Amino acid sequence: MFLEILINAVATGLLLGSIYAALALGLAVTFGILHIPNIAHPVFVVLGAYLAVVANERGWDPILAALAGALPFYLLGALFYEFYARVFERRGEADTMQALTLFFGVSLVVETALVLKFGTNQQTVDVDYVGQSLRIGLLVMPYRLLVPALVAPVMILTLWAYLKFTYAGIAIRAAAHDVRALQVSGVDPHWIKRHAFGIASVTALVAGAILVIIGPVDPFSGRLQIGRAFAVVILAGMGAVPGTILAAFIIGVAESLVSAFLNPSWSPGVAFLILLATLALKPQGLFGASR
Amino acid sequence: MNRLVIEGLEAGYGAVSVLRGISIEVRQGELVALLGTNGNGKSTLLNAILGFVRPTAGRVVLEWDGQTIDLTGAPPHRIVDAGIALVPEGRRLAPNLTVEENLLLAGSGRRARRDARRNLGFCFETFPILKERRAQRAATMSGGQQQMLAIARALMTSPRIVLIDEPSLGLAPIAVTQVIATIRSLQATQNLTIVIAEQSVVQAIDISARAYVLAHGSILRTFARGDSAADLDDIRRAMLGVGESRRPTEAAQ
Repeated sequence: MFLEILINAVATGLLLGSIYAALALGLAVTFGILHIPNIAHPVFVVLGAYLAVVANERGWDPILAALAGALPFYLLGALFYEFYARVFERRGEADTMQALTLFFGVSLVVETALVLKFGTNQQTVDVDYVGQSLRIGLLVMPYRLLVPALVAPVMILTLWAYLKFTYAGIAIRAAAHDVRALQVSGVDPHWIKRHAFGIASVTALVAGAILVIIGPVDPFSGRLQIGRAFAVVILAGMGAVPGTILAAFIIGVAESLVSAFLNPSWSPGVAFLILLATLALKPQGLFGASR
Repeated sequence: MNRLVIEGLEAGYGAVSVLRGISIEVRQGELVALLGTNGNGKSTLLNAILGFVRPTAGRVVLEWDGQTIDLTGAPPHRIVDAGIALVPEGRRLAPNLTVEENLLLAGSGRRARRDARRNLGFCFETFPILKERRAQRAATMSGGQQQMLAIARALMTSPRIVLIDEPSLGLAPIAVTQVIATIRSLQATQNLTIVIAEQSVVQAIDISARAYVLAHGSILRTFARGDSAADLDDIRRAMLGVGESRRPTEAAQ
């Protein structure tokens, strides 16, 4: 009995972790690499979830819908950065506090727009695999978790390869440390950051599609994810994209164990506890370079 | 004739004007030195050419292969793309990238990309230490090696003209000798056009065809190689701003 609970709690934790990694991935780019504290990232995830819902009503699979919506979401993210840059960066260095206020405001605007359009009701998608489970011995894995959990590593690997092996990817990684290093290399830093925001926005769309497969989504679902997403990025270490997945596994498994053996109502606090512990004990994170 | 022309350039930071009407010309294949002690505008001049500091007056014009490109006030990446590379003071490498990534990044510009492979091969040939350490993060290299990486990075942009800001700053004497020797050989073997800003007169004057002395944001004197007046003491005095008092006739003109 205990063994069965333990095995399933760990398995569920790993599945959740994989999904958390997908949710945090865009933030690993904007906050982890570019050092822009984009707390509006989760609301983009929710926006992506709504796109998946609307597409699903027309018979689309949520994940396919996310792939189809990649280009509009890229442009949306790029436009969002353009707005941020016009407001702050052109005037000199962006002040973190003001930037946070802007991102918070954008979150509220998007949430309100979703409420006006769709109401506050929870939205769900209808896919064949929801409601069924894969059973292997003692292990029971519901497909509504398993399918999203397989999408996340693919997305992370793709992004990692892009950052590692393309000119634009190398430039994005250079952007955080020294903008002038980009300029003397003949690269436009503004273009590169806008591009990075576009990519982050696409990951938010995919994460949104995943989120709505796992469970119902309402306009305020993003709020639950803000702390967790930051916890994942900071535990992984700033800029450590592949590390995101391991950090998310740790948080997912910890939450799942707390849920199973202590009390499910405590599990939302676990990410914050890990976040605080990381900042206190290992502020550079598991895979980040010490700064 | 291929050349970079700077006419009446004025620039500064906020209300402080640093450059006061600088006019210089650099022809293809030349190695030109900008001499001056700290705070006289050498770095500001290079940064104004590259677009980091916005000129308030004057022009920066590149005349190359029959094209005339006005670079005044253009953003830095556009200027690099036009063929002017900078080896900046403090090197400004991307510390978290590897040696090879730093080089590839500089080779990613629109014009440079065509020759990226060949340029990378040339850089590794010129600086074998960079090839050896290609997978190492730039931040973990010694000062001299970082300076070589910064020069190699400039070469990766397929430059027509390379501006080098204080290559000797903060380096051990042996590294300075090595860097200067490299610059000289690049100029000689590759027919590169180089502008080098320096405080250490001996090294700079030794390798350059022409030297401009900057003081208080203006060109105080110009020395050409073989110029009988161009003895070192003379240049030093000019740099310290005592050149005129020793040569009253010239100052009067």
